[in-house]
Amino acid sequence: MSPAPSSPPGPSNTPNPPGPSSPSRLPGPSNAPSLSNLPGSSRLPGPSRGPGPTDPLLVVRDLTVRFSTEDGPVLAVDAASFEVGEGEVLALVGESGCGKSVTALALTGLLPRSAAVSGEIRFTPSAVDLRQLGERELREVRGRDIAYIFQEPMTSLNPVLTVGRQIGEVLRRHQGMRGERARRRAIELLQLVGIPLAERRLREYPHQLSGGMRQRVMIAMAVACRPRLLVADEPTTALDVTVQAGILDVLRDLRAEIGTAVLLITHDLGVVADIADRVVVMYAGRTIEQASAPALFAAPSHPYTRGLLDAVPNPARHADGGLREIPGRVPVLRATQDACTFADRCGYADEVCRSRRPELEPGPAGHLVRCWHPLTTTVSTMGKRR
Amino acid sequence: MTTVAEPVTTATPLGGSRRRALRRLRRNPLAMTGLVVVVVAVLAALLADLIAPFSADRTDFGAALQPPSGEHWFGTDELGRDQFSRVLFALRASVTVGLAAVGLSMAVGVPLGLLAGFYRVLDPFVSRLTDTMLAFPFLILAVGLAAIRGPSLVTAVIAIGVAEIPLVVRVTRSETLRLREMDYVAAAVASGAGDGVLLRRHILPNAVNALIVQATVTIPAAIIGEAVLSFLGLGVRPPTPSLGIMLASAQQLFRDGPWLVVFPGLAIVLLTLALNLLGDGLRDALDPRESRR
Repeated sequence: MSPAPSSPPGPSNTPNPPGPSSPSRLPGPSNAPSLSNLPGSSRLPGPSRGPGPTDPLLVVRDLTVRFSTEDGPVLAVDAASFEVGEGEVLALVGESGCGKSVTALALTGLLPRSAAVSGEIRFTPSAVDLRQLGERELREVRGRDIAYIFQEPMTSLNPVLTVGRQIGEVLRRHQGMRGERARRRAIELLQLVGIPLAERRLREYPHQLSGGMRQRVMIAMAVACRPRLLVADEPTTALDVTVQAGILDVLRDLRAEIGTAVLLITHDLGVVADIADRVVVMYAGRTIEQASAPALFAAPSHPYTRGLLDAVPNPARHADGGLREIPGRVPVLRATQDACTFADRCGYADEVCRSRRPELEPGPAGHLVRCWHPLTTTVSTMGKRR
Repeated sequence: MTTVAEPVTTATPLGGSRRRALRRLRRNPLAMTGLVVVVVAVLAALLADLIAPFSADRTDFGAALQPPSGEHWFGTDELGRDQFSRVLFALRASVTVGLAAVGLSMAVGVPLGLLAGFYRVLDPFVSRLTDTMLAFPFLILAVGLAAIRGPSLVTAVIAIGVAEIPLVVRVTRSETLRLREMDYVAAAVASGAGDGVLLRRHILPNAVNALIVQATVTIPAAIIGEAVLSFLGLGVRPPTPSLGIMLASAQQLFRDGPWLVVFPGLAIVLLTLALNLLGDGLRDALDPRESRR
């Protein structure tokens, strides 16, 4: 990997050198409510306890997003709750339309005005509720504390500005860096994301770079201000497999070098297995299962999670021919339901599932699971499903 | 980690897509012809003092109404003024009005269009205003302005520039509407960019192509507009040479000195034709559908 950025790597609890020396990088009340009175599993502070979110960096509680569309209201996210730990890679998994991206955009108020958002989004160090911040304050947070990478590297860079100008823009905006200093920092950043000939690349335009290179530039821009949290919305989907691996390497290295936590949004379970510490599975706007990545792959508790894993092409398991699919489609919800949203597609559903809303609770395998009949079998001993 | 070294292309100060557009333009013979004519005309206007064999208003009654000759290439008028020199100086008025009027319409129209396209709240107001301006007859505006300010070059610039504002607003607005949905604008918002940065760094630079094309349409329109206004006595006043004035005064002498009509007329036709050819070429070369990716 390339040379590290100028300041020592590691968990970046210290504020960045430039900028006001206030310990809190976020505007807002610094004596916000303690996290420990929040519901949820792992909220105890303390040293690392294995693959749980030790020091929650981001706590999302009951995040609900409604869109008013011409066809009436749509409930895109229905009381989603999860936490991202300091320096952790959390994967947000689910099929298209389950609310992953909307959740990510809602974090820093990036949704259009037609979206009605409720719930709580607490972001350390000041544990301020991002939902209470105004547009101006959110702008400060975006890019500096929480940065984004999007799916489309081909179109996410401005075609008429050089790579150097675009990185410089971010550096100037949040760190007041310009001129030679900004240029040197930009070179460092390009090296950090594994772009050779960085000095030359700075003077190039996006169309002169390949898709993988562009995504690296996007990552360089995103981490320019050493954000505490990097939200990567399907960062590898538009890239071919070998380039994907390179991008995942970059994300992994970034975590090691600057301690950035990553909220990885993906539908690619291969990517999840490759890089994620913990996984949150979403379905129809709800978070339905949370566990460490190994635990989730070993013993999915929610029938939907199991279905997702079963749907991954696997020559050994699908020798009998054909992929195993989950029948039906993700419903478009108008309003929240007193039922399990997966009931219509679930082989285990009964009257309870259709009449009462399950809550996210510790399941038999120790995962948090939103299901009335969580599975207990592990994948390796998986027998026949009904 | 795996990084594949790619062949490095040399960077240029021009935007990459624009560089390719220039290459396309160079392969278009009609557009290049237009470009050459425009460059010659602009140079002639700028260097009129050096090129012109005679002063524009030097009268020589001994040589009045002479047909084109070795000494007077475009002939002389009823006062014996050298028509070639007068056409050169008249081009100066045309080019000045063309550029100044377009400059005025851009200076007002681009910000209005950006705001209308970016802030939906403002859009109805700006759009209705441009509709109103478009519905207002250009000549009435020019006559009114000439009545208030008196006919002059500046009056012509204002009349033409104002008349072209709504066109610029519309082009800028529609470009802004298109560009604000681009992924890179969304990415800039997500990295904390404010509206000013979005408009200045991301939307306006990408709208430049459309504005260049718009300018190549409005400049010839402005040149013809100046000729029309001067012809009607609402623009440049004699004795300052203008193609419109030359045509107006040649009107009565058409039988005795047809060259008095032919050369100024030809100058207008060639210049606007060349500008239009160049504009078409630029439009093809800068076409967003072609130049994207």
